[in-house]
Amino acid sequence: MLLIISVLFPVIGGLILPLFNKIQNRKIKLSFVVLIQAISTFLGLMIIFGGNVSTGTFTFAPELSIGFTADSLAKFFIALTVIGWALVTLYACVYMKHEENEMRFFLFMFLSEGAMIGASLSQNLISMYVFYEMVTLFSMPLVLHSLSKESINAAKKYLYYSIAGAFLALFGIFVLATNTDTLSFVSGNGVNVNPLVLTGVFTMLLGFGAKAGLFPMHGWLPTAHPVAPAPASALLSGLIAKAGVLAIIRTVFYVVGADTLVGTWVQNVALIFALLTVLMGSMMAYLEKGFKKRLAFSTVSQISYALVGLFLFSVDGFKGALWQILFHAVVKVGLFLCAGAVIFLYGKTEIKDLDGLGKKMPVTFTCFTILSLSLIGIPPMGGFYSKWYLATASLEATEIGALSWIAPIILLISAILTAAYLLGISIRAFFGKEEKEVDKKKEPLLMVIPIIVLTVISVVGGFFPVITNHFLVSVLL
Amino acid sequence: MTYLTLGCVFLPFIMAIASALIKNEKLRNFIVILATFTSLGCAIALSQMPDRIVSISSLYFHIGGFNTTYAVIAAFMWFAAALLSPQYFKGHHKLSRYYFFFLLTMGATLGVFLSADLLTTFIFFEIMSFASYMWVVQEETKEAMEAGKTYLAIAVLGGMVALMGLFLLYNITGTLMISDLYSAVSVAGKSKMLYISAFCLLFGFGAKAGMFPLHIWLPKAHPVAPAPASALLSGVLTKTGVFGILVVTGQVLPGDKIWGYTVLTLATVTMVLGAVIAVFSNNIKRTLACSSLSQIGFILVGVSMITLLSEENSLAANGTFLYMINHSIVKLVLFLAAGAIDLGAHTLDLNKLKGYGRNKPIIMIPFLIGACSLAGIPGFCGYLSKTLVHEAIVEYAQHSHLFIINVVEWLFLFSGGLTAAYMLKLFVAIFIEKPTEETPKGKKLSPLSAIALIISAIALPVIGVCTSLVEKITYPMLSLVNGQHFHHEIHYFSFTNLKGVLISLSIGILVYVLFIRKVLVKNGTYVNPVENKVSLEEQVYIPIIKGLTIVVGVICRIFADSTDFLVFISRKTVFKNEKEHPEHRRKFSYALGDILDHFKHDKEHTNSNLFVRVSETVSRTTQSISANFSFALFMTCLGVCVILVFLIVSFIS
Repeated sequence: MLLIISVLFPVIGGLILPLFNKIQNRKIKLSFVVLIQAISTFLGLMIIFGGNVSTGTFTFAPELSIGFTADSLAKFFIALTVIGWALVTLYACVYMKHEENEMRFFLFMFLSEGAMIGASLSQNLISMYVFYEMVTLFSMPLVLHSLSKESINAAKKYLYYSIAGAFLALFGIFVLATNTDTLSFVSGNGVNVNPLVLTGVFTMLLGFGAKAGLFPMHGWLPTAHPVAPAPASALLSGLIAKAGVLAIIRTVFYVVGADTLVGTWVQNVALIFALLTVLMGSMMAYLEKGFKKRLAFSTVSQISYALVGLFLFSVDGFKGALWQILFHAVVKVGLFLCAGAVIFLYGKTEIKDLDGLGKKMPVTFTCFTILSLSLIGIPPMGGFYSKWYLATASLEATEIGALSWIAPIILLISAILTAAYLLGISIRAFFGKEEKEVDKKKEPLLMVIPIIVLTVISVVGGFFPVITNHFLVSVLL
Repeated sequence: MTYLTLGCVFLPFIMAIASALIKNEKLRNFIVILATFTSLGCAIALSQMPDRIVSISSLYFHIGGFNTTYAVIAAFMWFAAALLSPQYFKGHHKLSRYYFFFLLTMGATLGVFLSADLLTTFIFFEIMSFASYMWVVQEETKEAMEAGKTYLAIAVLGGMVALMGLFLLYNITGTLMISDLYSAVSVAGKSKMLYISAFCLLFGFGAKAGMFPLHIWLPKAHPVAPAPASALLSGVLTKTGVFGILVVTGQVLPGDKIWGYTVLTLATVTMVLGAVIAVFSNNIKRTLACSSLSQIGFILVGVSMITLLSEENSLAANGTFLYMINHSIVKLVLFLAAGAIDLGAHTLDLNKLKGYGRNKPIIMIPFLIGACSLAGIPGFCGYLSKTLVHEAIVEYAQHSHLFIINVVEWLFLFSGGLTAAYMLKLFVAIFIEKPTEETPKGKKLSPLSAIALIISAIALPVIGVCTSLVEKITYPMLSLVNGQHFHHEIHYFSFTNLKGVLISLSIGILVYVLFIRKVLVKNGTYVNPVENKVSLEEQVYIPIIKGLTIVVGVICRIFADSTDFLVFISRKTVFKNEKEHPEHRRKFSYALGDILDHFKHDKEHTNSNLFVRVSETVSRTTQSISANFSFALFMTCLGVCVILVFLIVSFIS
């Protein structure tokens, strides 16, 4: 029952928001938003600290059913979702002041939160597919929020790529449905390998990869993420894109069985695509001039780090991927919020205009630098350990031949590029010549707190790798 | 013991935060000196402890041997640098930032030296690299920012390559504990991957040490940093790189010839190159920085001898460790002296400093001691270390009968000569020549600064005279490289040993008299004919990097836009939106409208074309929908087509 409530609550809460539109006082409106978010977060936390409960399945056609189970992986993703959404909601309360239709924004934010929780809790492929589609549909209005021509086109692109991806995935589900006993998530489940199944799995990886920005379906991500309002870009990049990773984990480790895929052509091609994405994303980010767009390209690259780990189809790789998912979520949400703070206070969107802003926004840019170090993978930040586990897992995987050592090299080249494209921003901000005529504005407290919290998580997680690792291992199978 | 380790490594971190928060300048200076002093105390206490490994969280520290000895030296240097800082930084801005990173780097450096496994080493190594970046850019001048850029680029590159080396090493041996590596490697056996891993580590640690061809950051970064910071950059931070190379030498590839010759080649180039640039330079700190480069070359020659002589490495091993200690202290003294000059004169240009140091014995004497020790004059520590390494080369030359080793020996003596020449150049210019009108008056040194200079200089002549101290200092460190004790007593002042230094010094005097005075001094001013003309960085590295960026960038751009491009092409060809042809398409509507018009003679015109208007709206809507749908459907079809083709192919085969 708790599971169903926690999925439905944000949805219902979101849907009643438009009723408050008549209220003139902004503070009262926002306190409702915060209240709804607080209750959803609380429900999410109750699931996380509760047992591994599951609901009955609702069967609407033979073999097609929807049901929820709170297993350890679901709890991990719910933790990311509710905490991320809670912080972003606080931030958005300030940020959305300078955008119109803020209630509509919060409405869709809650809807997509519900869908994300639903996707995490799903018990089988069918229900996950349903919620996965919902995430796409509910998050699209976040992209086109400003209703400018550019953002509408970006939203359309997002929708089309996602639909194309979803159909690719659907094909795989059809194949799996006829080739396995069950579509429910049971760890250690296995299927008979035949070319059709492999093809189906491959299309699923590509299809779900569309959401995670995996080549060749990555095109929408750098277009759609930057045009959304900053809190939405943070959610899209940091968390919603992880729905694709979640779907891939569920497919590979819970339905198909990772062992059956080791050494097949699916693994090689998927790994090559993922590595290509890692390198391409970093290089494009390095060449990119817009602040948010650079971060979006960085997302393309960084999520594929996690995919590299998953496509090793080994437990070690899975663990590395979880480290990467956790710290990328924390860091990327934080970075986008920093970019949003710059836009909110000074309206700067291009990197060349950031000169000297570090002196005016010391907290934001200090956090930005620390988060950047984590994303690059500089110890003792959390990001270092994700690279460490990914690379060692890759070297362990001897079945993939030369890719086992090419992968770490590409990860490190990408790390160097990450350093180049992120530290360049920090250096500009702190040491660049500042414009004299712009007045210093105070950073709003509600905007700074989420950024600081995220920074602290990324640092502390890395300071105590044993604890973090223990926590992440408990998520594994 | 855990608490002492905590005090040594983590106290500076905590004090760093404290010093950043304190606004009162005097209190902050006091806190900083106190922190470095406490840390030094902890390090000394640790060095008296029995040998063991301490683990804190997932970090491992080794108490004893090389680790604690060098931790003491590092902590001592920080203490001395902290003593000079209050006067040096008087009136400077952004000091809380400086002290924060000063202490942060201290903790990290001590962490590197005390680390018992390479993962711990790497973690602290990276903190150190990034924290010390702030030293380089502290002044925020244009040169400082440029130097900072180079420094950061090399630090990131070196760090990542070293990390790759660690990945491979961990994959081969399954452990990164330094004490376990030796046996783990001998179990695993030598493989191509082991060599790749070792060379990755050489690249990463060599970058920090300032080894050719990754030295480019060193002559740029050391001079622009504030003097206390450059003393530490030159004296200690480069040694963390040497430490890493020593670990590989001693534990990963002990006695390996390929490794030995690679290090020897790079070391010799570094040694000669650094000395040659130092002769040309007219800026005190730049000369000292280039000198560091050259001295690191000397040390690495010693390291390569440890490997090449393997079982008989007593001379090489003891010599190398003594050389490291000597260089650390000498650079501390010299850079602090340069700082003392800078704080009074506000310039580092030799031409403006002529005769500045006359009547300033408190600067002159430490400077002279440092210079003598660096040049290897008997009676100073530098002489002993240089002699030991030189004897090691001679020993290997006799042992291997390779002509090339004799060449290395000559280059060794030649570089030693150049060292004497450039130190003579500095000393004569600053302390002997007559002051000109340009020479500033200078400031009196505060007692703290004077103490800093004196205590740092004092060890050099002491060790140089009491030669029995050498074994006491170096023997505990030997286990790091499986070094041997001396087989017999070393007669440091015998004629054979003095011969080397005599040759060196005569070369030095010749170079000074014939080259520096004749060529580099024109009308009484020092000139640098090659300044800004030869630069490995600008003429080789930057073009290569730019070229690579363009090529990789274009390839990535192609991949990144491939899907979008495909969609774009098909929208322009197969899935092209239909152009409007009103007459053609709406014939029926118009006809119908006409007929209706006939029926409604008496009604007004607008009403009669109702059908036309409705059909126009409908067709416009349909068109815009179909334009979008075609796109979506196309994306779907594309996916399905690929699958179908594959299925057919796979079923046929």
